[in-house]
Amino acid sequence: MTGDPPPRPAECFDEVFDAYFAEIHRYAARRLGQDAAADVAAQTFLEAFRQRRRYDPERASVRTWLYGIATKVVGRHQRAETRALRARARLGPGRDAEEHTERIDARVSAEGLRGKLAGAIAALPRGQRDVLLLVALADLSHDEIAAALGISYGTVGSRLNRARTTLRRALGGTNPILTLEEQHG
Amino acid sequence: MDEVRMVRGHYPEPAPPTAQEIARAKALLKEPQRRSLPRLRWGLGGMVAVGVAAAVAITLAGGNPPAPPGPVHLDDRGMFLAAAEKAERQPTGNYWYVSQIGGHSYIMRARTGTYAVTGAHTESFSWWGAKPGMGEAFHSRVIPARPPTERDMALWRRAGSPSSFRVWSADSYSTYTTRAEKWRVDTRSGGGEFPGGLSSGDLRSLPTAPAELAERFLSRTAMRAAGALRPSAGREAELAGTKFMRVASLLAAPVPPKTRAGLMRALTTQPGVHAVGRATDPLGRRGIALASDGRATTVTGEFGAPKAEQGTYHSRAVIIFDERTGALLSQQEELTRPGGPYAEMKPGFVINYWTIRSAGWADARPTLPTGLPFG
Repeated sequence: MTGDPPPRPAECFDEVFDAYFAEIHRYAARRLGQDAAADVAAQTFLEAFRQRRRYDPERASVRTWLYGIATKVVGRHQRAETRALRARARLGPGRDAEEHTERIDARVSAEGLRGKLAGAIAALPRGQRDVLLLVALADLSHDEIAAALGISYGTVGSRLNRARTTLRRALGGTNPILTLEEQHG
Repeated sequence: MDEVRMVRGHYPEPAPPTAQEIARAKALLKEPQRRSLPRLRWGLGGMVAVGVAAAVAITLAGGNPPAPPGPVHLDDRGMFLAAAEKAERQPTGNYWYVSQIGGHSYIMRARTGTYAVTGAHTESFSWWGAKPGMGEAFHSRVIPARPPTERDMALWRRAGSPSSFRVWSADSYSTYTTRAEKWRVDTRSGGGEFPGGLSSGDLRSLPTAPAELAERFLSRTAMRAAGALRPSAGREAELAGTKFMRVASLLAAPVPPKTRAGLMRALTTQPGVHAVGRATDPLGRRGIALASDGRATTVTGEFGAPKAEQGTYHSRAVIIFDERTGALLSQQEELTRPGGPYAEMKPGFVINYWTIRSAGWADARPTLPTGLPFG
Protein backbone atom coordinates (compact mmCIF):
# COMPACT_ATOMS: atom_id res chain seq x y z
CA MET A 1 0.00 0.00 0.00
CA THR A 2 3.02 2.25 0.49
CA GLY A 3 6.41 2.35 -1.16
CA ASP A 4 7.69 -0.27 1.27
CA PRO A 5 7.59 -3.91 0.22
CA PRO A 6 4.51 -5.59 1.65
CA PRO A 7 5.06 -7.55 4.87
CA ARG A 8 5.61 -11.29 4.56
CA PRO A 9 2.86 -13.25 6.28
CA ALA A 10 4.94 -16.26 7.27
CA GLU A 11 7.63 -14.25 9.06
CA CYS A 12 5.93 -11.18 10.38
CA PHE A 13 2.21 -11.61 10.56
CA ASP A 14 1.88 -8.75 13.02
CA GLU A 15 2.95 -6.35 10.32
CA VAL A 16 0.44 -7.82 7.90
CA PHE A 17 -2.23 -7.34 10.54
CA ASP A 18 -1.24 -3.73 11.20
CA ALA A 19 -1.04 -2.87 7.53
CA TYR A 20 -4.37 -4.34 6.45
CA PHE A 21 -6.73 -4.83 9.39
CA ALA A 22 -8.45 -1.46 8.99
CA GLU A 23 -8.89 -1.97 5.24
CA ILE A 24 -10.37 -5.44 5.58
CA HIS A 25 -12.58 -4.21 8.40
CA ARG A 26 -13.83 -1.47 6.08
CA TYR A 27 -14.64 -4.00 3.36
CA ALA A 28 -16.52 -6.19 5.83
CA ALA A 29 -18.40 -3.21 7.26
CA ARG A 30 -19.56 -2.12 3.84
CA ARG A 31 -20.73 -5.57 2.87
CA LEU A 32 -22.21 -6.81 6.13
CA GLY A 33 -22.65 -3.81 8.40
CA GLN A 34 -20.76 -2.18 11.20
CA ASP A 35 -21.61 -4.73 13.87
CA ALA A 36 -20.42 -7.71 11.90
CA ALA A 37 -17.30 -6.04 10.59
CA ALA A 38 -15.08 -6.57 13.62
CA ASP A 39 -15.92 -10.26 13.83
CA VAL A 40 -15.56 -10.86 10.12
CA ALA A 41 -12.26 -9.01 9.98
CA ALA A 42 -11.02 -10.93 13.04
CA GLN A 43 -12.02 -14.21 11.47
CA THR A 44 -10.33 -13.23 8.20
CA PHE A 45 -7.03 -12.55 9.94
CA LEU A 46 -7.28 -15.66 12.05
CA GLU A 47 -7.72 -17.76 8.92
CA ALA A 48 -4.93 -15.89 7.17
CA PHE A 49 -2.71 -16.47 10.19
CA ARG A 50 -3.38 -20.19 10.06
CA GLN A 51 -2.68 -20.34 6.33
CA ARG A 52 0.29 -17.96 6.44
CA ARG A 53 2.85 -20.62 5.51
CA ARG A 54 0.85 -21.56 2.48
CA TYR A 55 0.69 -18.00 1.18
CA ASP A 56 2.36 -17.84 -2.24
CA PRO A 57 3.73 -14.39 -3.16
CA GLU A 58 4.05 -15.56 -6.79
CA ARG A 59 0.30 -15.95 -7.03
CA ALA A 60 -1.06 -12.88 -5.34
CA SER A 61 -0.14 -9.88 -3.29
CA VAL A 62 -0.81 -10.03 0.43
CA ARG A 63 -3.63 -7.57 -0.01
CA THR A 64 -5.28 -9.65 -2.73
CA TRP A 65 -4.83 -12.81 -0.66
CA LEU A 66 -6.53 -11.17 2.31
CA TYR A 67 -9.44 -9.93 0.20
CA GLY A 68 -9.88 -13.48 -1.07
CA ILE A 69 -10.12 -14.84 2.46
CA ALA A 70 -12.36 -11.97 3.60
CA THR A 71 -14.71 -12.60 0.68
CA LYS A 72 -15.01 -16.26 1.66
CA VAL A 73 -15.77 -15.29 5.26
CA VAL A 74 -18.34 -12.74 4.06
CA GLY A 75 -19.80 -15.50 1.89
CA ARG A 76 -20.72 -17.50 4.98
CA HIS A 77 -22.98 -14.64 5.83
CA GLN A 78 -24.55 -14.32 2.44
CA ARG A 79 -28.02 -14.61 3.79
CA ALA A 80 -27.36 -11.77 6.20
CA GLU A 81 -25.94 -9.64 3.41
CA THR A 82 -28.94 -10.34 1.23
CA ARG A 83 -31.26 -9.50 4.10
CA ALA A 84 -29.48 -6.22 4.71
CA LEU A 85 -29.70 -5.31 1.05
CA ARG A 86 -33.31 -6.32 0.84
CA ALA A 87 -34.07 -4.32 3.92
CA ARG A 88 -32.89 -1.32 1.92
CA ALA A 89 -34.75 -2.38 -1.16
CA ARG A 90 -37.89 -2.84 0.86
CA LEU A 91 -40.80 -0.55 1.20
CA GLY A 92 -39.94 2.46 3.28
CA PRO A 93 -40.95 2.96 6.87
CA GLY A 94 -43.94 4.96 7.98
CA ARG A 95 -43.47 8.39 9.45
CA ASP A 96 -43.57 7.29 13.06
CA ALA A 97 -40.95 4.69 12.35
CA GLU A 98 -38.28 7.14 11.35
CA GLU A 99 -36.48 7.36 14.64
CA HIS A 100 -36.22 3.62 15.04
CA THR A 101 -35.34 3.10 11.45
CA GLU A 102 -32.50 5.53 11.64
CA ARG A 103 -30.99 3.56 14.44
CA ILE A 104 -31.42 0.33 12.55
CA ASP A 105 -30.09 1.84 9.37
CA ALA A 106 -26.99 3.07 11.10
CA ARG A 107 -26.17 -0.55 11.80
CA VAL A 108 -26.75 -1.84 8.35
CA SER A 109 -23.81 -1.62 5.99
CA ALA A 110 -26.05 -1.07 3.04
CA GLU A 111 -27.24 2.23 4.48
CA GLY A 112 -27.44 4.83 1.79
CA LEU A 113 -27.96 2.28 -0.96
CA ARG A 114 -30.96 3.26 -2.88
CA GLY A 115 -33.74 0.73 -3.09
CA LYS A 116 -33.43 -0.39 -6.65
CA LEU A 117 -29.67 -0.69 -6.53
CA ALA A 118 -29.76 -2.62 -3.27
CA GLY A 119 -32.45 -4.89 -4.65
CA ALA A 120 -30.47 -5.54 -7.80
CA ILE A 121 -27.29 -6.33 -5.87
CA ALA A 122 -29.24 -8.58 -3.51
CA ALA A 123 -30.60 -10.51 -6.47
CA LEU A 124 -27.19 -11.12 -8.02
CA PRO A 125 -25.86 -14.66 -7.75
CA ARG A 126 -23.12 -14.78 -5.13
CA GLY A 127 -20.25 -15.24 -7.60
CA GLN A 128 -21.27 -12.15 -9.54
CA ARG A 129 -21.79 -10.13 -6.39
CA ASP A 130 -18.33 -11.03 -5.06
CA VAL A 131 -16.65 -9.99 -8.30
CA LEU A 132 -18.64 -6.77 -8.57
CA LEU A 133 -17.91 -5.74 -4.99
CA LEU A 134 -14.22 -6.64 -5.21
CA VAL A 135 -13.99 -4.28 -8.17
CA ALA A 136 -16.19 -1.57 -6.65
CA LEU A 137 -15.12 -1.69 -3.01
CA ALA A 138 -11.60 -3.14 -3.10
CA ASP A 139 -10.43 -1.75 -6.45
CA LEU A 140 -8.95 -5.11 -7.37
CA SER A 141 -8.06 -5.76 -11.01
CA HIS A 142 -9.45 -8.71 -12.95
CA ASP A 143 -6.14 -10.52 -12.42
CA GLU A 144 -6.21 -9.90 -8.72
CA ILE A 145 -9.81 -11.03 -8.38
CA ALA A 146 -9.02 -14.20 -10.32
CA ALA A 147 -6.22 -14.91 -7.85
CA ALA A 148 -8.26 -13.91 -4.80
CA LEU A 149 -11.22 -16.14 -5.62
CA GLY A 150 -9.35 -18.91 -7.40
CA ILE A 151 -11.30 -18.51 -10.64
CA SER A 152 -10.14 -17.83 -14.18
CA TYR A 153 -9.58 -14.39 -15.63
CA GLY A 154 -12.34 -15.04 -18.16
CA THR A 155 -14.79 -15.97 -15.43
CA VAL A 156 -14.08 -12.70 -13.63
CA GLY A 157 -14.84 -10.80 -16.82
CA SER A 158 -18.04 -12.63 -17.61
CA ARG A 159 -19.34 -12.41 -14.03
CA LEU A 160 -18.65 -8.69 -13.96
CA ASN A 161 -20.34 -8.21 -17.31
CA ARG A 162 -23.42 -10.07 -16.24
CA ALA A 163 -23.59 -8.15 -12.97
CA ARG A 164 -23.22 -4.86 -14.83
CA THR A 165 -25.91 -5.79 -17.32
CA THR A 166 -28.28 -6.69 -14.52
CA LEU A 167 -27.64 -3.42 -12.71
CA ARG A 168 -27.83 -1.40 -15.89
CA ARG A 169 -31.20 -2.90 -16.58
CA ALA A 170 -32.38 -2.39 -13.02
CA LEU A 171 -31.14 1.17 -12.78
CA GLY A 172 -30.86 2.72 -16.15
CA GLY A 173 -32.27 0.43 -18.74
CA THR A 174 -35.73 0.34 -17.30
CA ASN A 175 -35.55 3.02 -14.73
CA PRO A 176 -35.60 6.46 -16.31
CA ILE A 177 -36.27 8.31 -13.08
CA LEU A 178 -33.18 7.05 -11.37
CA THR A 179 -31.12 7.71 -14.45
CA LEU A 180 -32.40 11.24 -14.65
CA GLU A 181 -31.71 11.78 -10.99
CA GLU A 182 -28.20 10.48 -11.48
CA GLN A 183 -27.54 12.90 -14.27
CA HIS A 184 -29.35 15.99 -13.18
CA GLY A 185 -30.34 15.55 -9.53
CA MET B 1 -23.77 5.45 -16.32
CA ASP B 2 -20.96 3.42 -14.84
CA GLU B 3 -22.55 0.78 -12.66
CA VAL B 4 -19.38 0.02 -10.77
CA ARG B 5 -18.93 3.66 -9.84
CA MET B 6 -22.57 3.83 -8.79
CA VAL B 7 -22.22 0.76 -6.62
CA ARG B 8 -19.12 2.21 -5.01
CA GLY B 9 -20.87 5.53 -4.44
CA HIS B 10 -23.80 3.87 -2.76
CA TYR B 11 -21.85 2.03 -0.10
CA PRO B 12 -21.34 4.63 2.60
CA GLU B 13 -18.07 5.02 4.42
CA PRO B 14 -18.23 2.90 7.61
CA ALA B 15 -16.65 3.81 10.93
CA PRO B 16 -13.12 2.46 11.36
CA PRO B 17 -12.53 -0.37 13.85
CA THR B 18 -12.21 0.68 17.48
CA ALA B 19 -8.99 0.14 19.40
CA GLN B 20 -10.79 -2.52 21.40
CA GLU B 21 -11.90 -4.39 18.28
CA ILE B 22 -8.37 -4.30 16.92
CA ALA B 23 -6.90 -5.52 20.20
CA ARG B 24 -9.44 -8.33 20.41
CA ALA B 25 -8.76 -9.48 16.84
CA LYS B 26 -5.04 -9.41 17.48
CA ALA B 27 -5.39 -11.33 20.71
CA LEU B 28 -7.16 -14.11 18.83
CA LEU B 29 -4.00 -14.70 16.83
CA LYS B 30 -2.14 -15.42 20.04
CA GLU B 31 -4.49 -18.25 20.86
CA PRO B 32 -3.86 -20.58 17.95
CA GLN B 33 -5.19 -23.57 19.88
CA ARG B 34 -8.73 -22.43 19.13
CA ARG B 35 -10.19 -24.29 16.22
CA SER B 36 -12.94 -22.00 15.26
CA LEU B 37 -14.74 -18.95 16.41
CA PRO B 38 -17.91 -20.24 17.96
CA ARG B 39 -16.97 -18.29 21.06
CA LEU B 40 -17.11 -15.08 19.16
CA ARG B 41 -20.62 -13.82 19.17
CA TRP B 42 -21.28 -13.15 15.55
CA GLY B 43 -24.13 -10.90 16.37
CA LEU B 44 -24.72 -10.35 12.72
CA GLY B 45 -27.45 -12.76 11.69
CA GLY B 46 -29.41 -12.02 14.81
CA MET B 47 -28.76 -8.33 14.73
CA VAL B 48 -29.79 -7.71 11.18
CA ALA B 49 -32.70 -10.10 11.39
CA VAL B 50 -34.02 -8.39 14.50
CA GLY B 51 -33.56 -5.00 12.88
CA VAL B 52 -35.48 -6.04 9.81
CA ALA B 53 -38.27 -7.59 11.82
CA ALA B 54 -38.56 -4.48 13.96
CA ALA B 55 -38.64 -2.21 10.95
CA VAL B 56 -41.33 -4.31 9.35
CA ALA B 57 -43.42 -4.36 12.49
CA ILE B 58 -43.15 -0.60 12.78
CA THR B 59 -43.85 -0.08 9.13
CA LEU B 60 -46.87 -2.28 9.08
CA ALA B 61 -48.52 -1.49 12.39
CA GLY B 62 -51.60 0.65 12.46
CA GLY B 63 -55.34 0.38 12.16
CA ASN B 64 -57.04 -0.18 8.85
CA PRO B 65 -60.28 1.74 8.45
CA PRO B 66 -62.39 0.41 5.59
CA ALA B 67 -61.87 2.05 2.23
CA PRO B 68 -64.40 4.76 1.45
CA PRO B 69 -66.07 4.04 -1.88
CA GLY B 70 -64.51 6.30 -4.49
CA PRO B 71 -66.56 8.13 -7.14
CA VAL B 72 -66.85 6.03 -10.28
CA HIS B 73 -67.38 7.61 -13.70
CA LEU B 74 -67.74 5.83 -16.98
CA ASP B 75 -64.46 7.21 -18.21
CA ASP B 76 -60.82 6.14 -18.26
CA ARG B 77 -60.50 6.57 -14.54
CA GLY B 78 -63.71 4.65 -13.96
CA MET B 79 -62.51 1.78 -16.13
CA PHE B 80 -59.25 1.75 -14.23
CA LEU B 81 -61.01 1.63 -10.87
CA ALA B 82 -63.21 -1.18 -12.10
CA ALA B 83 -60.00 -3.14 -12.80
CA ALA B 84 -58.90 -2.37 -9.23
CA GLU B 85 -62.08 -4.03 -8.01
CA LYS B 86 -61.14 -7.22 -9.86
CA ALA B 87 -57.81 -7.23 -8.02
CA GLU B 88 -59.74 -7.78 -4.81
CA ARG B 89 -60.75 -11.30 -5.75
CA GLN B 90 -57.58 -13.32 -6.33
CA PRO B 91 -56.68 -16.66 -4.64
CA THR B 92 -53.57 -17.74 -2.65
CA GLY B 93 -51.27 -20.83 -2.51
CA ASN B 94 -47.95 -22.31 -1.27
CA TYR B 95 -45.45 -20.63 -3.60
CA TRP B 96 -45.50 -17.14 -4.98
CA TYR B 97 -43.76 -16.73 -8.33
CA VAL B 98 -42.97 -13.80 -10.59
CA SER B 99 -41.83 -14.10 -14.18
CA GLN B 100 -40.51 -10.84 -15.63
CA ILE B 101 -38.95 -9.47 -18.77
CA GLY B 102 -37.11 -6.19 -19.14
CA GLY B 103 -35.44 -4.45 -22.02
CA HIS B 104 -34.26 -1.14 -23.37
CA SER B 105 -34.67 0.21 -26.90
CA TYR B 106 -31.67 1.23 -28.93
CA ILE B 107 -31.58 2.91 -32.29
CA MET B 108 -29.76 1.28 -35.20
CA ARG B 109 -29.02 3.83 -37.88
CA ALA B 110 -28.51 1.53 -40.85
CA ARG B 111 -27.95 2.88 -44.36
CA THR B 112 -31.05 0.98 -45.43
CA GLY B 113 -33.21 2.72 -42.82
CA THR B 114 -33.24 3.44 -39.10
CA TYR B 115 -34.87 0.88 -36.84
CA ALA B 116 -35.11 0.09 -33.15
CA VAL B 117 -33.85 -2.97 -31.36
CA THR B 118 -34.59 -4.11 -27.81
CA GLY B 119 -31.32 -4.87 -26.02
CA ALA B 120 -30.23 -5.42 -22.40
CA HIS B 121 -33.03 -7.91 -22.72
CA THR B 122 -33.43 -10.05 -19.64
CA GLU B 123 -35.91 -12.56 -18.36
CA SER B 124 -36.15 -13.51 -14.71
CA PHE B 125 -38.15 -16.10 -12.88
CA SER B 126 -38.33 -16.14 -9.11
CA TRP B 127 -40.32 -17.97 -6.52
CA TRP B 128 -40.68 -17.78 -2.78
CA GLY B 129 -42.04 -20.46 -0.44
CA ALA B 130 -44.82 -19.13 1.73
CA LYS B 131 -43.43 -20.64 4.94
CA PRO B 132 -39.94 -20.88 6.46
CA GLY B 133 -38.07 -23.92 5.13
CA MET B 134 -39.90 -23.95 1.82
CA GLY B 135 -37.02 -22.21 0.06
CA GLU B 136 -36.77 -19.54 -2.59
CA ALA B 137 -35.10 -19.30 -5.99
CA PHE B 138 -34.03 -16.67 -8.43
CA HIS B 139 -33.35 -17.47 -12.09
CA SER B 140 -32.32 -15.08 -14.79
CA ARG B 141 -31.06 -15.17 -18.34
CA VAL B 142 -30.24 -12.88 -21.18
CA ILE B 143 -32.78 -13.25 -23.97
CA PRO B 144 -32.22 -12.31 -27.61
CA ALA B 145 -32.06 -8.70 -28.67
CA ARG B 146 -34.86 -8.15 -31.19
CA PRO B 147 -36.59 -5.50 -33.28
CA PRO B 148 -39.73 -4.73 -31.24
CA THR B 149 -42.31 -4.04 -33.98
CA GLU B 150 -43.22 -5.40 -37.41
CA ARG B 151 -41.82 -2.28 -38.98
CA ASP B 152 -38.52 -2.55 -37.08
CA MET B 153 -38.40 -6.22 -38.06
CA ALA B 154 -38.78 -5.35 -41.75
CA LEU B 155 -36.06 -2.71 -41.59
CA TRP B 156 -33.79 -5.09 -39.72
CA ARG B 157 -34.21 -7.62 -42.53
CA ARG B 158 -33.49 -4.96 -45.10
CA ALA B 159 -30.27 -4.18 -43.20
CA GLY B 160 -29.24 -7.82 -43.73
CA SER B 161 -30.69 -9.35 -40.53
CA PRO B 162 -27.61 -8.66 -38.39
CA SER B 163 -27.24 -10.91 -35.35
CA SER B 164 -25.35 -8.44 -33.25
CA PHE B 165 -26.03 -4.82 -32.44
CA ARG B 166 -23.43 -2.34 -31.33
CA VAL B 167 -25.32 0.44 -29.58
CA TRP B 168 -24.62 3.55 -27.57
CA SER B 169 -25.71 2.99 -24.00
CA ALA B 170 -25.50 5.96 -21.64
CA ASP B 171 -21.73 6.38 -21.61
CA SER B 172 -20.21 3.72 -23.82
CA TYR B 173 -20.90 1.28 -26.62
CA SER B 174 -22.44 -2.10 -25.77
CA THR B 175 -23.05 -5.03 -28.04
CA TYR B 176 -26.20 -7.12 -27.80
CA THR B 177 -26.83 -10.26 -29.83
CA THR B 178 -29.77 -12.33 -31.03
CA ARG B 179 -28.56 -15.24 -28.89
CA ALA B 180 -30.25 -16.38 -25.70
CA GLU B 181 -28.01 -17.31 -22.80
CA LYS B 182 -28.52 -20.13 -20.30
CA TRP B 183 -30.53 -19.63 -17.16
CA ARG B 184 -28.45 -18.64 -14.14
CA VAL B 185 -29.89 -20.17 -11.04
CA ASP B 186 -29.60 -19.09 -7.45
CA THR B 187 -31.61 -21.36 -5.19
CA ARG B 188 -31.66 -20.60 -1.51
CA SER B 189 -32.97 -22.16 1.62
CA GLY B 190 -35.27 -19.90 3.52
CA GLY B 191 -38.82 -19.17 2.65
CA GLY B 192 -41.55 -17.39 4.51
CA GLU B 193 -40.33 -14.09 3.16
CA PHE B 194 -41.44 -12.44 -0.06
CA PRO B 195 -39.83 -9.77 -2.22
CA GLY B 196 -39.34 -6.75 -0.04
CA GLY B 197 -38.55 -9.01 2.93
CA LEU B 198 -42.17 -9.26 4.03
CA SER B 199 -43.82 -12.31 5.55
CA SER B 200 -47.39 -13.35 4.86
CA GLY B 201 -48.32 -11.82 8.20
CA ASP B 202 -46.67 -8.52 7.33
CA LEU B 203 -48.49 -8.43 4.04
CA ARG B 204 -51.83 -9.26 5.64
CA SER B 205 -51.46 -6.37 8.06
CA LEU B 206 -50.93 -3.79 5.32
CA PRO B 207 -53.68 -1.20 5.13
CA THR B 208 -56.23 -1.26 2.34
CA ALA B 209 -57.46 2.35 2.38
CA PRO B 210 -56.02 4.29 -0.57
CA ALA B 211 -55.31 7.42 1.48
CA GLU B 212 -53.43 5.46 4.10
CA LEU B 213 -51.47 3.53 1.49
CA ALA B 214 -50.64 6.75 -0.33
CA GLU B 215 -49.35 8.32 2.85
CA ARG B 216 -47.37 5.24 3.80
CA PHE B 217 -45.79 4.49 0.45
CA LEU B 218 -46.23 7.39 -1.95
CA SER B 219 -45.66 10.45 0.21
CA ARG B 220 -42.43 12.34 -0.24
CA THR B 221 -41.28 11.33 3.24
CA ALA B 222 -41.99 7.67 2.66
CA MET B 223 -40.33 7.56 -0.73
CA ARG B 224 -37.31 9.41 0.54
CA ALA B 225 -37.00 7.04 3.50
CA ALA B 226 -37.19 4.12 1.08
CA GLY B 227 -34.40 5.62 -0.97
CA ALA B 228 -36.70 6.03 -3.97
CA LEU B 229 -36.32 9.78 -3.98
CA ARG B 230 -33.54 12.30 -3.75
CA PRO B 231 -33.96 15.31 -1.47
CA SER B 232 -33.64 17.46 -4.61
CA ALA B 233 -36.58 15.72 -6.30
CA GLY B 234 -38.89 18.06 -8.17
CA ARG B 235 -42.54 19.06 -7.89
CA GLU B 236 -45.13 16.55 -6.69
CA ALA B 237 -46.50 16.06 -10.21
CA GLU B 238 -43.02 15.13 -11.44
CA LEU B 239 -42.90 12.21 -9.03
CA ALA B 240 -45.65 10.24 -10.79
CA GLY B 241 -43.22 7.92 -12.57
CA THR B 242 -41.40 7.22 -9.32
CA LYS B 243 -44.74 6.34 -7.73
CA PHE B 244 -45.45 3.87 -10.52
CA MET B 245 -42.15 2.17 -9.81
CA ARG B 246 -42.88 2.15 -6.12
CA VAL B 247 -46.24 0.48 -6.61
CA ALA B 248 -44.78 -1.94 -9.15
CA SER B 249 -42.10 -3.05 -6.72
CA LEU B 250 -44.66 -3.44 -3.94
CA LEU B 251 -46.79 -5.56 -6.24
CA ALA B 252 -43.90 -7.97 -6.86
CA ALA B 253 -44.90 -9.43 -3.50
CA PRO B 254 -48.18 -11.29 -2.95
CA VAL B 255 -49.87 -8.20 -1.60
CA PRO B 256 -53.39 -9.13 -0.48
CA PRO B 257 -56.04 -8.32 -3.08
CA LYS B 258 -57.67 -5.51 -1.10
CA THR B 259 -54.32 -3.78 -0.54
CA ARG B 260 -53.45 -4.28 -4.20
CA ALA B 261 -56.71 -2.64 -5.17
CA GLY B 262 -56.07 0.12 -2.62
CA LEU B 263 -52.65 0.84 -4.15
CA MET B 264 -54.19 1.09 -7.62
CA ARG B 265 -56.85 3.46 -6.32
CA ALA B 266 -54.22 5.49 -4.47
CA LEU B 267 -52.27 5.96 -7.68
CA THR B 268 -55.25 7.44 -9.51
CA THR B 269 -55.50 10.30 -7.02
CA GLN B 270 -51.84 11.33 -7.18
CA PRO B 271 -50.91 14.67 -8.79
CA GLY B 272 -49.58 14.28 -12.32
CA VAL B 273 -51.15 10.83 -12.76
CA HIS B 274 -53.62 10.43 -15.63
CA ALA B 275 -55.86 7.54 -16.58
CA VAL B 276 -55.20 7.07 -20.29
CA GLY B 277 -57.57 4.26 -21.13
CA ARG B 278 -56.42 1.07 -22.81
CA ALA B 279 -52.82 0.39 -23.75
CA THR B 280 -50.79 -2.50 -25.13
CA ASP B 281 -47.69 -3.87 -23.43
CA PRO B 282 -44.56 -5.22 -25.19
CA LEU B 283 -46.02 -8.75 -25.07
CA GLY B 284 -49.02 -7.49 -27.02
CA ARG B 285 -51.40 -7.70 -24.07
CA ARG B 286 -54.14 -5.09 -23.81
CA GLY B 287 -54.64 -3.49 -20.44
CA ILE B 288 -55.85 -0.42 -18.67
CA ALA B 289 -53.22 2.27 -18.08
CA LEU B 290 -52.11 5.26 -16.06
CA ALA B 291 -49.51 7.70 -17.34
CA SER B 292 -47.41 10.51 -15.95
CA ASP B 293 -47.05 13.94 -17.51
CA GLY B 294 -44.51 14.10 -20.32
CA ARG B 295 -41.08 15.31 -19.30
CA ALA B 296 -38.03 16.37 -21.25
CA THR B 297 -34.75 14.51 -21.28
CA THR B 298 -31.71 16.06 -22.88
CA VAL B 299 -28.76 13.96 -23.94
CA THR B 300 -25.60 16.04 -24.19
CA GLY B 301 -22.10 15.17 -25.33
CA GLU B 302 -20.91 15.30 -21.72
CA PHE B 303 -20.56 11.55 -21.40
CA GLY B 304 -19.27 11.10 -24.92
CA ALA B 305 -22.57 10.42 -26.68
CA PRO B 306 -22.17 10.56 -30.46
CA LYS B 307 -23.93 13.42 -32.28
CA ALA B 308 -26.82 11.25 -33.46
CA GLU B 309 -27.68 10.35 -29.86
CA GLN B 310 -27.74 13.95 -28.62
CA GLY B 311 -30.74 16.22 -28.25
CA THR B 312 -33.99 16.53 -26.34
CA TYR B 313 -36.96 14.20 -26.34
CA HIS B 314 -40.11 14.01 -24.22
CA SER B 315 -41.44 10.86 -22.66
CA ARG B 316 -43.86 9.67 -20.03
CA ALA B 317 -44.02 6.79 -17.59
CA VAL B 318 -46.87 4.31 -18.14
CA ILE B 319 -48.14 1.55 -15.89
CA ILE B 320 -50.54 -1.04 -17.30
CA PHE B 321 -52.85 -3.39 -15.42
CA ASP B 322 -54.95 -6.32 -16.59
CA GLU B 323 -58.51 -5.11 -16.91
CA ARG B 324 -60.04 -8.44 -15.94
CA THR B 325 -57.89 -9.39 -12.95
CA GLY B 326 -56.25 -6.14 -11.85
CA ALA B 327 -52.82 -7.80 -12.18
CA LEU B 328 -49.85 -5.56 -12.95
CA LEU B 329 -48.80 -6.18 -16.56
CA SER B 330 -46.13 -3.67 -17.41
CA GLN B 331 -44.29 -0.55 -16.52
CA GLN B 332 -42.75 1.33 -19.39
CA GLU B 333 -41.41 4.64 -20.63
CA GLU B 334 -43.04 5.90 -23.81
CA LEU B 335 -41.92 8.58 -26.21
CA THR B 336 -44.34 11.54 -26.36
CA ARG B 337 -42.34 14.03 -28.44
CA PRO B 338 -39.61 12.62 -30.69
CA GLY B 339 -36.15 14.17 -30.57
CA GLY B 340 -32.54 13.47 -29.68
CA PRO B 341 -31.74 9.77 -29.93
CA TYR B 342 -35.38 9.02 -30.75
CA ALA B 343 -35.80 11.75 -33.38
CA GLU B 344 -36.80 9.17 -35.98
CA MET B 345 -39.25 7.28 -33.76
CA LYS B 346 -42.96 8.00 -33.35
CA PRO B 347 -44.90 9.00 -30.21
CA GLY B 348 -45.82 5.85 -28.29
CA PHE B 349 -42.45 4.25 -29.02
CA VAL B 350 -41.47 2.20 -25.96
CA ILE B 351 -38.07 3.39 -24.74
CA ASN B 352 -37.79 0.77 -22.07
CA TYR B 353 -40.02 -1.65 -20.29
CA TRP B 354 -40.34 -3.93 -17.35
CA THR B 355 -43.10 -6.43 -17.91
CA ILE B 356 -44.57 -9.12 -15.69
CA ARG B 357 -45.06 -12.12 -17.93
CA SER B 358 -46.91 -13.87 -15.17
CA ALA B 359 -47.11 -13.78 -11.40
CA GLY B 360 -49.21 -15.74 -9.00
CA TRP B 361 -49.60 -18.52 -6.52
CA ALA B 362 -48.76 -22.17 -7.18
CA ASP B 363 -49.48 -25.21 -5.04
CA ALA B 364 -46.22 -27.00 -5.93
CA ARG B 365 -42.72 -25.61 -6.57
CA PRO B 366 -43.02 -23.49 -9.68
CA THR B 367 -41.01 -24.58 -12.72
CA LEU B 368 -39.24 -22.40 -15.23
CA PRO B 369 -41.31 -21.12 -18.12
CA THR B 370 -40.52 -23.06 -21.28
CA GLY B 371 -39.51 -21.35 -24.49
CA LEU B 372 -38.58 -17.76 -25.07
CA PRO B 373 -41.09 -15.01 -24.34
CA PHE B 374 -41.13 -13.74 -27.91
CA GLY B 375 -41.15 -17.18 -29.56
